[in-house]
Formats: sequence, C-alpha cells, structure tokens
Amino acid sequence: MKRLIILLAAVWLAGCAAVVKVEGEQVVRNRLSVQLPSAWNRIANHHEPFELWTQDGAALDQLRFWSGVKPGEALIRTSFTPAGQTAPRVPTFAANMPPDQLVSMFEMLFSADGSQVKTDRIEPARFAGENGVRFEFAVIRKTSELQLRGVGWAAVRNGELFAATFTAPQLSFFQRLLPKAEGVVATARLR
Amino acid sequence: MNAGSPSGRRRFLRTACCHCAAWGGLGLGLAHAQDAADATIAPRLERPAIDTDEGGLWAMMDREERRLRRGPLVIRDEALSTYLRDLVCRLGGEHCTDVRVHVVRTAQFNASMAPNGMMQVWSGLLLRVDNEAQLAAVLGHELGHYLERHSVERMRDLKAKSSAAMVVSMFGLPGALVGLGIAASAMGFSRDQELRADRIGMQLLRRAGYDGREFPKVWENLLAELKVTGGEDAGRRSVLFATHPPAADRRDALRAMAGEAGGRLGTEELERVLAPHRMDWLQEEIRRGQYEESLALLSRKLARSDDPHYLYARGEVYRLRNRDDDLPPALADLQRGSQLLKAPPELFRSLGLLHQRREDAAGAIGAFERYLAAAPEAGDAGLIKTYLKELKP
Repeated sequence: MKRLIILLAAVWLAGCAAVVKVEGEQVVRNRLSVQLPSAWNRIANHHEPFELWTQDGAALDQLRFWSGVKPGEALIRTSFTPAGQTAPRVPTFAANMPPDQLVSMFEMLFSADGSQVKTDRIEPARFAGENGVRFEFAVIRKTSELQLRGVGWAAVRNGELFAATFTAPQLSFFQRLLPKAEGVVATARLR
Repeated sequence: MNAGSPSGRRRFLRTACCHCAAWGGLGLGLAHAQDAADATIAPRLERPAIDTDEGGLWAMMDREERRLRRGPLVIRDEALSTYLRDLVCRLGGEHCTDVRVHVVRTAQFNASMAPNGMMQVWSGLLLRVDNEAQLAAVLGHELGHYLERHSVERMRDLKAKSSAAMVVSMFGLPGALVGLGIAASAMGFSRDQELRADRIGMQLLRRAGYDGREFPKVWENLLAELKVTGGEDAGRRSVLFATHPPAADRRDALRAMAGEAGGRLGTEELERVLAPHRMDWLQEEIRRGQYEESLALLSRKLARSDDPHYLYARGEVYRLRNRDDDLPPALADLQRGSQLLKAPPELFRSLGLLHQRREDAAGAIGAFERYLAAAPEAGDAGLIKTYLKELKP
C-alpha cells in the first residue's frame, strides 16, 4: 500500500511544472543569449516551444523567448485533434512576414484561449541586434478576467524568427516588473 | 464540487449557467416537428427559499452576476442594454422584470441562462445573427430553459454525479477520461430539455410577431461555420456529446415547427443598435485567427449587404491568411470597400500593406496616407510612417 501511495504521488508530481532558478548568462535554444542581472524562475517542463521565465509565478507574470523559429513552425504547441476533424489554426511563423504580420501572429497567440487582446502601439525597434518591431498590448484573460499588460519584441534573421514577450497584471505588477524584463531583453544577442 | 478553491467554485458556477454549449458548436437536443403553440408558459417564478438547494444556487448565481457586472468583459452600453431588455419583454411578457441580459465580450457564438434570471449573450453571437428575429430566437430558447427551471434539474443531476467523478479521477488518466464523460453529461442540458426550450422559444418568437423561419437559420448558419473544422459531419460528431442527436436534425425539426406564416425580421433595428460595436467585434473575430470560419461568416454577411466593414474584415482575413490565391480576393474586397462611404480607417491600412506586398509603391503610399489622415493617433502610426519613408524615393 505504501509503495502504491509513493508511486501515485510520483505520477502526480510528474505532472507539475519544475521551477529552476536562473541567473547570469542564459542561452535560449542554443541561438539566443541573454544576461540576467538578477534571478528569474525558469518553468522547465511546460511543453511549449518557447522559454518561459517568471518573477512572481507563471499565473501572474511571464517572460517568454522564442529562438530560431523556422517557417512553418507554430508559436504554441498544437493541440490534439479528433480523427476526421481539421485542426484549429495556430499562430505559425511564415517566411517573409513583415513586422505588422508578426504582430498579428502574437495577437492570435494571446487570444487563442478566448482572451481579449488589443494592441495599442507598434513601432520599429531593434531586438537581439536586428531590426525588428516592438509592440504593446492589453489582454483580458478569458479564464480569470484578469487584466494584463504586455510588451513584445520580434525580429527575423536569415528567415528565422527571434522574439520575446512580457505580460503581467496591469495593476501594480506590470509597472514594477517591466524594467526588469526590459533589462533582460535589452541584453539579447544572437549566437 | 470543490467549493473551497476559487477555480473549482468558478468552474461549478460556469456549469450552472453554461447550458447552451449547444450554441457554441456542440450538437444538443432534438426538437420534434409539432406545433410550437401547444407549449404552456409558466407563471412568474418565485425566489426559492435560501435554505433549499435551489435557493443556494440562486444566491451563488447572484454573486456571480455581481462579479460579472464589475468585470472587464461585460459591455456597458445603455442603448444596447435597453434594446435587449425591450426584446426580452416582448418575448417573455411578465417574466421580463426577472431577467437581466448581459453582453459579454467574447468572439465565439454562445448564450447562457442562469436560474436567477441572469442571461449572458456573447458578442460573437451578436456579430453572427442577421436580424432581430434570429436574436429573439436565441433569447426565446434561453428563456425556455429559465421558465422550465432546467438548471435546477441539472444541478441535482450534477450533485448526484460529482461524487462518482471524484472517485474515478483518483486513478490517473483513465479515471480522468471517465470523469470527463461524467462532466460532459452534466455540462449540457438533456435532449428533452433542449426540445422543450426549442418549442418554448419558437412559441415566444411567433407570439411576438417574428418570422419563425429565422430560428432554424441560426442553427444552419452556425452549422456552416462548424463544417470548416468539423467537416460535413460537424453537427453529428462530437467527443463529448456523442450520445446526442445530430445538429442537422435539430435544424430540420425547427424548420418544420416554424410554419410558413412569416412575420417581422427587424433587420434595421438590430443593425442600428449593433453598429457602434461592429468594428471592435470584427477585429476580435479576425484576431481569433480561425480564418476559414471567419470567411464563412463574412461571405454570408456580404451576400446580404455590401458593407465596407465586412469588406474590410474579409479582405483583412484573406491578407493575413496569405495563401498564394488569397491576394486577388483580398485586393478586390479592400478596393471595393475603399470606394464606399464610411470605409473604416483600418481598411486603408490593410490596403496599404497589401499594395506594399504587391510592390505597388504608389498604391501603398496613397492608402497609407489616407489611413494616417483618418487615424493620425493610431498606435501603429510610427510603423506606417517608417513604411512610407521606405516607399518614397
């Protein structure tokens, strides 16, 4: 019985996300390096095609990095589709996407769960040493009705997408944590 | 029910008012082809005593309604609220003082009714109905669930099943799947309840002087969108609701119930009250990124009216989908829209970006300049000005 309980506990815990403390130089998927002046929490096994870090917990703030995304690759994991049905479209990077379409792709990403997304600023910017785009947006999360603010950066180099987004609750968290997130993003360099 | 955790409580509350997942795309219920006029309408419902299970459910839904009212997703528009209240009064007569309609910003098609009289209508539904008669059909159906107190029956059923779900969910994945099956049977109304709600809805619709033939059209239009991802069997096949009858049967039964008497459509009335919100809702529809479904919806809208907002939305969807054969229809829609009065500024942005892709510098410059003239404070003005600088020799 004791063994069974331990086994069940192990199976249950295996489903939990592992959180690892990260600081100093970090390399995202071998292609994008960033310097962390202070520690962040890395969510290790979330099964999504992006790197995910947080300060106060992923339910609140999220700093995401995509690195070396090739044309045809999705920004999020594709969900299971029952036999005979067409999979719902997921935000997918395509070759030669201009900045406005990159932003539309991220709008689709953050509204994929039914959340409301509104981009209120798009401007040319440099990201990871490349010419790209910076955008600011607001999200009303469908599941909790939490109001988030977000900022994103994206650039394409040699046909591959490199991008980052930071989202946090509009009330207090975003203003407090944005300088930290921007500080990290400003150090992003391609390898 | 796990009343102890906020998320568990929220989930339970949602199941208590999310009856019409049927509207959201899962086939539920079968309406018999009999005269809708033979259903009787219940008198006004008394508020149940607080120490009963029904009274407890009402109290919980009252709290949920207060939360909804304060929340960021509810649309606060006095003209729209008054219009919906009047529509419910026209349909529900004396019941209208007990029913409150809240419009919720969500791009999908759905409506729900809680036992305490809180009705939620999602903006995606309002975007999809073509006239007041179609909206009245949905509201009438929801009123049918309210009048028959279906959610109380459902809550008692859910309480009976929840202990079984807790037991099976202790055994990992297979247990979770069984749990899902139980949750699915609890989430939707039964086939008989859907039948009753359809019949009452049709009765209320016709009694208020609307054309009953618009009711099956709601279902038919939704089915056309569902077929995009679900194929021809969209209304028949569903993992969760496999035991329920096919959606097409429901449409056919409603057609038979509607008769040929005709009646009021109220197209202009609906158009007038929704016009201030339409652009926002179209943008939300586009952002869903489900381009094929949006194209089915927008093509249906454009078959009825050559409106520059719908032309913008369809052109933008083609532009964003960006398949090899999408460029000509995108250009046709946006150019057509640009020649119409009341073309939204975003149409010129979309047209400029499309010309830019076609390497038509003069066309792009002209469209971008019209966009910036119409919306000088646009959030992406900085990006568009950069594009203009690159385009001008």
